[in-house]
Amino acid sequence: MAQLYVVQSADFLFLQNQMQMTPGNLSAHLSKLENAGYVEVTKEFIERKPHTALTLTKKGRAAFKEYRKKVKQFVDKIPE
Amino acid sequence: MTKEPNLKEIQRKAYMSYHQDGLLDIFSGLYILGFGLGIFMSTIWEYTFGIILPGILMATVIPIWIGAKRKITMPRIGFVNFGFRGASKVTAIFIGIMVVGLGAMFAFTFATVQSGSRQWLDLIFQNGMLIVGFGSLAVSLLFGYSLGLKRLYVYGLLSVISLVIGHFAGISFAYILIALGTIVMVTGIALLIGFVRKYPLKGESAIAE
Repeated sequence: MAQLYVVQSADFLFLQNQMQMTPGNLSAHLSKLENAGYVEVTKEFIERKPHTALTLTKKGRAAFKEYRKKVKQFVDKIPE
Repeated sequence: MTKEPNLKEIQRKAYMSYHQDGLLDIFSGLYILGFGLGIFMSTIWEYTFGIILPGILMATVIPIWIGAKRKITMPRIGFVNFGFRGASKVTAIFIGIMVVGLGAMFAFTFATVQSGSRQWLDLIFQNGMLIVGFGSLAVSLLFGYSLGLKRLYVYGLLSVISLVIGHFAGISFAYILIALGTIVMVTGIALLIGFVRKYPLKGESAIAE
């Protein structure tokens, strides 16, 4: 989600390269995020080749913001 | 251990991987080289050629760059649309300021020439290489920082050093631009070769899954 949070959209191959994940592993993660309504998957054809564009939805962006906030609060509470 | 995700670092990594193909360097180098050749040609050919060449280059280089990104980069590392977020916002604001600044400079130049006062224009032309040198350094530092590409710092330093030396040693501006353009372009070609070797095409399925 962090990868998609910093961009407008990205495709499957780009995310796979960035996260060094196997296609199956990434696909499973994305399916869960798509089912939760956090990621929008758009399938299209570019120059007759299949292309999967992934975008973080408004709900996903808000959820990720909330997650960051909670992690920050948690980390701040840990004594040094 | 759970830790807050470093978004700046993630974005920087995304920018870096998208520009590791060397295409930015090849086409910037080609543009600088063409600009230098234009100035050189205008001294032996026709003055207007040197003025229109940057426009011709811009119109031809950008579509080729986009095409090369589609044919070389996208099938290997995928596609990303950075949109108007974070570092690209800084770059967009900078480009906006640059366009407005250049427009204001042209308007001021036009007004000054019309009124017959050329003193400050002569001063700019006399120190043109220094102005371009430090301007290039500023542009390289900003783009280097916003795109996370450290080699742009090296290009900026190289530009300012060569142009300052050129100014004081009386070396032609065209020669320096030709040398700088060639260096940047050759670096880009070396990066492109490395990129193609690092990310070989994995067949049709590599396009996007």
